[in-house]
Amino acid sequence: MSALDGEDEELLIEQVAGAFRPWPLLDGELRYHPVWHDLSPAARERAHDRATTLRRAEAALDHEHLSSTARAVLARIP
Amino acid sequence: MELDVHLPAIVAGDKGAFAAWLGGAEGTVRATLRSFARVIDVEAVLQEALLRVWQVAPRFVPDGRPNGLVRLAIRIARNLAISEVRRMRATAADVDVDEVGDADAPEVAAPDPLLRAAIADCRDKLPPKPRAALDARLASGGTSDDDTLAEGLHMRTNTFLQNFTRARQLIADCLGKRGIHLATELAR
Repeated sequence: MSALDGEDEELLIEQVAGAFRPWPLLDGELRYHPVWHDLSPAARERAHDRATTLRRAEAALDHEHLSSTARAVLARIP
Repeated sequence: MELDVHLPAIVAGDKGAFAAWLGGAEGTVRATLRSFARVIDVEAVLQEALLRVWQVAPRFVPDGRPNGLVRLAIRIARNLAISEVRRMRATAADVDVDEVGDADAPEVAAPDPLLRAAIADCRDKLPPKPRAALDARLASGGTSDDDTLAEGLHMRTNTFLQNFTRARQLIADCLGKRGIHLATELAR
């Protein structure tokens, strides 16, 4: 895999820091964000840290104090 | 903050009570997974773990100590993370797993009304396109990917992401001018 340039990597980090994740397979195997695999370990850590901060901001903007992670979890409950 | 006040309603199948519990518990559970972030997708693990809490909650027996359901969530999340490390064939050297004892009382922060008001005010000052990208992410609640959100705004995915980045940085600048700590983290 070729190294990503800085701007490309930043956009991938922005995507991975979002809460969207495909639902797990029927056998329960988790599905990662498709571009997570393209990130270096250091970039994955940055995406995690950014997600942590974004979720606090999202919850602060939500009328029920829920982040997009919480909303994604609730969407999976019938 | 004691989140087990929601437990009886959660056990009775009240999704609204589980939402209230999630609002308080998510950050605490996420923080315990940081040491795994280099080798597994923590967001995917976290969402699955929180869903499993809902599924097992009716069988949960409190031990009388505070935030029992949060402690259960942490155990589920970390066990799932360790399974994922094995599945990804990462080595022990890739993960510096900090120990979290079951006896540890997890700290659960209450919502901060001042932060809430400041972020809302800063969001309202965003230019139209960054605001649209931010609002699309918020409205989707993690259920749509960025390609779909971009298409809904008639943007290319990269343009959407650049607008979202701009929104994040502008909010960070706005919060920074008010001396709010979150600004530094949000700008990274």
